[in-house]
Formats: sequence, C-alpha cells, structure tokens
Amino acid sequence: MTVVLGAGVDESVISVLPARGAQRKRRRGLRVLMFPITFAIVAALWEGYKVVGPQNGGKILGWKLLPRAGSREMPHVWDMVSRLTRPENGPNSQTIGIVVAKAAFYSFRVALLAFVLGVVIGMVLAILMTRFKFFERALMPYLVISQTVPIVGIAPVLVFILAAWSRNLGDQKWIAASLLGAFLAFFPITIGGLRGLKSASPESIELMDSYAASWWMTLVKLRLPSAAPYLAPAMRVAGAAAVVGVVVSEISVKINQGIGELVALYGQQATNDPAKLFTAVFGAAILGLVMSALVASMEKLMLRSRPVTA
Amino acid sequence: MSAVEVAQVSKVFNLGTADQVDALVDIDLTVEQGEFVSLIGPSGCGKSTLLRLIADLIEPTSGTVLMNAKPAHQARLDQDYGMAFQQSGLFEWRNVQKNIELPLELKGWDKPTRRARSLEMLELVKLGQFAKHMPWQLSGGMQQRVAIARSLAANPPLLLMDEPFGALDEMTREHMQTELLRIRKETGTTIIFVTHSIPEAVYLSDRVVVMSPRPGRITAVVDVVLGSDRTEDTREDEQFYDRITEVREALRGAEMGSAPLGIEDR
Amino acid sequence: MSVSRRRVGSGTRSGGDGVVAKVLPPVIVGALFFGGWEAFVDWQHVREFILPKPSEIWKQLFDNFGLVRSASVVTGTNALVGLILGTILGALLAATANRYRAFGELLNPLTITIAAIPAVVIVSVLNNMYSVTTQTGRRVMVTLAVFFIVFVQVARGLRQNHPTQLELMRSYAASPREILRKVRIPNAVGYLFTGIRTAAPIAVIIALVSEYFGGTQDGLGQRIASNFSLSKTAFAFAYVVGGSIVGLLFFAGSNLLEYVAVPWRRRRYSR
Repeated sequence: MTVVLGAGVDESVISVLPARGAQRKRRRGLRVLMFPITFAIVAALWEGYKVVGPQNGGKILGWKLLPRAGSREMPHVWDMVSRLTRPENGPNSQTIGIVVAKAAFYSFRVALLAFVLGVVIGMVLAILMTRFKFFERALMPYLVISQTVPIVGIAPVLVFILAAWSRNLGDQKWIAASLLGAFLAFFPITIGGLRGLKSASPESIELMDSYAASWWMTLVKLRLPSAAPYLAPAMRVAGAAAVVGVVVSEISVKINQGIGELVALYGQQATNDPAKLFTAVFGAAILGLVMSALVASMEKLMLRSRPVTA
Repeated sequence: MSAVEVAQVSKVFNLGTADQVDALVDIDLTVEQGEFVSLIGPSGCGKSTLLRLIADLIEPTSGTVLMNAKPAHQARLDQDYGMAFQQSGLFEWRNVQKNIELPLELKGWDKPTRRARSLEMLELVKLGQFAKHMPWQLSGGMQQRVAIARSLAANPPLLLMDEPFGALDEMTREHMQTELLRIRKETGTTIIFVTHSIPEAVYLSDRVVVMSPRPGRITAVVDVVLGSDRTEDTREDEQFYDRITEVREALRGAEMGSAPLGIEDR
Repeated sequence: MSVSRRRVGSGTRSGGDGVVAKVLPPVIVGALFFGGWEAFVDWQHVREFILPKPSEIWKQLFDNFGLVRSASVVTGTNALVGLILGTILGALLAATANRYRAFGELLNPLTITIAAIPAVVIVSVLNNMYSVTTQTGRRVMVTLAVFFIVFVQVARGLRQNHPTQLELMRSYAASPREILRKVRIPNAVGYLFTGIRTAAPIAVIIALVSEYFGGTQDGLGQRIASNFSLSKTAFAFAYVVGGSIVGLLFFAGSNLLEYVAVPWRRRRYSR
C-alpha cells in the first residue's frame, strides 16, 4: 500500500521518557510475539464470520457491506494453508507453495532493481534541484502536482507504451516493470531528498564556506548526512511504491513469472479453486513484508549514529 | 511560615542500575514569602531537578519538600504554584487568551470570570491587543510573556521558572527581566528562578543559590543587596558588578575539580 | 514541530524573487514538454494509437466531456466514500488502541502487514468476497488504505505530545482524563487532518487502480484500460486527464480542509 507518511520530521517531539535499552528490547520481543497471536485472532474471526455471516452477502443500513460467507468467496483458513502443499494444476505440476515462492522471489528481484533505480534517479534530481535554483523552480510545481495526480493511474499509460516496446523485449519484459516501479519510487525520494539536503543549517553551510570547501565537499560532508533523517521515511515509501509499481505492471504487461500476474490469474480461477487465490495473496504479502524489512534495515544503517528519536 | 522548605533532599536517578546518577545530595533550602531566589550552576548540577522536586513533578529519593508547610504533593493538587519553562509550552491550537485560561478551566472557574481574569493577565504582561492571536503569530519573547501570564493566572503565591528566558536574544531578555520584576512587584509573588546567566540571576534575585555538579549540591548562597527598586540603570551600578563578581567566584570555587561552566542540559 | 518556530522562511539563498522568476521556469518547462511532445509526434510520424499528440487528447476530452465526467464521478464517489469511512474507522480505532493498550498491541501487527501488502492485490480478494456488480469491493479497498494512514497519524497525535505541555499539565495536577481532553485530543485532531490530507490523493489512486481488477465498467480505471487495449489511445488519455482532475480536486479540497480546520499546522509546500 503506497502510503506517504508525513515525512517524519514531527518525530522530534517525543514523549517524555524514552524506554531504557533492556526495556525496549523486551518490548520488541513482545511485539514480535504479538504477530502470531494477532493472526490467530484474525483467522478465528474469519472462521467465526463464516459460521454466522450470510451466504449471499448482506446489507448494513441499506449498504451491501457484509461479504458473502460461502466457502467459494471465503475459503476456510486451513484450506488456504493446505492448498500450499498440493500441486498447482494437474497431478504432475509443482506444489503451489513452490510456484508462489518462485513468483514472489522473481517479483522481489524486479522490485529491488526498481527501488535502487528510483533512489538513484530521485537523489540525482534532488541534488540538481539543490544545486541549480532554476531546476527547483522549474520542476517543483510539477513534483507537487505529481503527488496529487493518481500516479498509478498514469501507470497504464507508461505500461502500454512500455508494452508496445516490450514486445521487442521478449523474455526481458521485466525491464518494463522495473522502470515503472522506479518511476513510482523516485518521487518520494526527490521530495524527501530535497527537503533533507536543504535542512542543513545556514550556520553549518557558512562554516563549510569558511573552510573554502567546494560545493561537492559541502554536499558530501554536510548536506548528504543531514539529509539522512529525511531520506529514511522517503525510502520506506519508495520501497512500497516500487513493489506496487512492479505488481501493477506485471498484471498489465502480463509477465507470467511474477506474483502480480499470479494473483490476477488465480483471481480468475477463484470460483473453482478459491483457496488458490489466497496462496498468491500470501506470497504478495510476504514480498511486501520482506521489502519493507529490507528498507527498514537500510534505514537503521543510515541512522545508526543518530539519537533515537525517529 | 516559609514559602518553600526543602530539607535533607536527595535524588538518585536510575537507582541500582549501571547508569545510576546522584542528581542531588542533602539539599537544604528555605525560601521566604515574597522572596526572589535564583538557582545557578553548571550543567548537571541539578538545578532544574531541584525545581521539579519543589513542583512535585518528580519525587525525592529521600527528604521532604514543604510549600507553606504543606507537603509538595498536596501543594500541587491545591495549585499553590505556577510554573514557566524554557519552552513556552503554549497550546498551538488555542489562541493567546484561551492559553491563559487553561489553568483556570482546570480549576473549574466559570467562563465570565475566566475571561475577565485572562484579560487582566494580558494587560499585566502588556499584550492586551493580542488576546485573539494564535501562538505562532507571536515572537519568542511575546510567547514567553503569554506563558508567564498563564503561570500567574490562577494567582498562585509561588512562581517556579525554569530558564524561561533561555531561548530569547539578549535585548529581549533584559527587557523581559525588567518586566518580570515589575510583575513581581505588582503581584507580590514569591519566585524561584533557574538560570545559567550570572547577570540575570544577580539582576533579578534577592538571593542567588550557587550549585555544583557530581553530585548536585548547594555550595554557596550570595545575598544580593541591591534594594527592591531595580531599573535598567541598576545594570550600570557598581554594586551590581560586585555581586556578579561574587557569584562568579562562588561558581569558580564550586567548580574546582569538576566540569567547566556549561549550558544547562537537563 | 516546535512551538516557537515562527517563521517558515525559505532558508535558501535565492536570486531575484519576482513573480516572473517564480512563474517563468515552470512555464518554460511545461511549454517545452508539451511543445516537444507535439513536435516529436509530428516529426517522427508516430502513429496515433501509440502516442497521440497533446492537441488530439485535448480534442478528445472536449468532444467526450460528458463521458469523461460521468466516469470521473463514479471513481470520485468511490474515493470519497472510502475516504470518509476510512477516516472514521482510523480515528475510532486509534482512539481505542490508545485507551486499551492490549487492543493496540493486537492491532499493531495487522496494520504493519496490511501496509506491506501491495494494495492492488487485496482488491482481487475483495472482488471475490463481494459481488463484482457493486462498487463495494472497491470502496472497502479505499477504506482500508485510508484507514491505515489515518490510524497511524491519529495514534501518533495521541501519543506524541510536547514534553513541556505534559509537564505543565502535571504541574496543574490534571487528571489523565483532563490531559486527554485538553492536550492529547486537540493534538491528535491536528494529526487527523494531516492524515486526511495525506490520504486524499491516495484514495483516488486506489479507487482508480482497484478498477483494473474487473467489476463494473463505469469508472475511470476501467475506461483507461479498455480504451488502451482498443488502441483508442487519445481517448484513454482523455480519461487520464479526468483522473488527474479528480486527484487535484481531492488534493485541493483536503489541503483547504486542513488549512481551515487546524490553522496551526499550516505548512509551506513550495519550500
């Protein structure tokens, strides 16, 4: 879910007493433990709804808000899990667990490339805009508008242009998916990077000037380090955006190896084999979680010597 | 009956852990009614901690704090003091007047009385035309004046101030100091004032309490005999310089073998 | 966001700051972009179904304004319904999570996981759970996306208060209830509107993308996809323009709402 969290600068206002090291560690352990508990409760609620829910959906206040509880629409949790161990189609095909894992890994590689490309392009733009006022003035209004325009809505435009081009690509269609992911990922990086690069205080810039430091030196020694706290949340958004971009374009360009197309495919087969769809959704969820965990660890590395506020 | 009586108070942070800190050791301090007392010292000397102990915002590890012969905890419940901090701590969603009315709301005053009182307070800090302004529309000095008006709104007999002018520029700061003395004269409030500025402490106080760190303790008390009619001219007074020298030397004495004078970093 | 930070000045050393210096660069870039696009298509004789000229898109939009408008209304309504429901849900659950610690701890893993799943994937499940002939699946999807953003913001607003304000309330011997009413809730209201502002454009995006996964044919996303596959590319682009306008409306509306409702959180964009 591409979610832009308000740049994270408000984090400087933290609650009074930060937890001590040992306490924090114990709480983190508890947090991890909460995952299985929560999922168990969600599974129980799911099964509970299947017992009491209407088979054909129902209305709340005249609104068709209650989902259909039949096993075709909401398969049993144990069916979803056991479906993972059974073959995909015929008896001779691979088990679905392996198929899903392969697809998720394929998409992960493409999304990772998209993320890296997005970060590089985004940073280059941010640096250009910091260096040359003209670039900032010229591009900023478009960057602001671009945040409002449904970027993913433009995705099909790009995808279809890329698709026309990717017919020549053959097996290399993933390049198109990567490019779209990068396209979605670079915006938050540019915005966050620009704010971060400009966050260096005038005093410290003057200090660098007093050392007769070149613009590049100031960039490397001062501006980039001070941009790190702004870049970290931007990277989180970019990571999610890269995944969304790749999944969307996999469906549009029909990249059969990817998890996005697998979800779409299993979605079409859901009436006959509903549990199958959920196995692919599991795969997509794990792809997203792995990506966000990866970005989070990068973030930790970037901010390792900073005070624990963010 | 003394306004504040601190007896044999010690405060240890993180007791029994590796980062145990003796913030304050065996503190005795008595502040009389109507007195203006400053706490001064290098960072880590525990002056802000002492102020918070008096305010019952933290509890002493041992010893007692009395306010008008009442335990500090009861005094806090009874709202016997007002407090101002280095950050104005104004609520950004309330206008100036509503900010001043906050403590009165909590005391359950009715609306007309609150309104009247807050306007009176605004006049006291000379911000009469700014009642409907929002905090972010004011300069730092004006925000701090609103914070002082807020701390005095409920008419407390005691005012606790934790470096309230620490974030202001020198000119504004001196102006605010004179204003504070005027307000004190008009209201007769007892004031305990934490600062790391020697001239500020001397200019404002009847007594300056000098503290030293590791462990935090009181090392000297300097009586400032400058009289009660202090004006901007007092700053040029020879007496004023003498007292500054006296405090400075007391600080140096306190500093022997400990950290150099620094900025308070509570 | 410090209380005492008053000025929001540019902080950059800028050259001439006249209107011309501000307006001219983006106009130049815009003119170059569209002019270049138009000229490139003419020059390379690019066939229209691959890349239409901006002027052709404009003509299509003008000629089919009614169609584009009705599709925009369908998608815009889905986004708006989801935005409202998601905001209510997010604020309520954040408040509950703040009140009952255990509930918050249980909700936490769920929000993290929902946030990590590519939203587009959930749509296919929802479409399966609801009948494809209604807009419900899409609206629920938008609600989920908005819920997450608002939940995170409101939870933060309830938790992260200015230390001085909390200390002040303690010096007033204020009860937890009073602290909630006077400090935490007003603070969270500020964050709530920031959440709405952040969520509004995303609501439009999700509403649009969720149409790519089947269901009724009346919204922008479906029209964009089907016209592209029919090689009516200029027409598809006209719907994209419609989507952009819906997005801009949501952006402007939510910013205006924040500007008016919580003036203390006003922020500069073109910094």
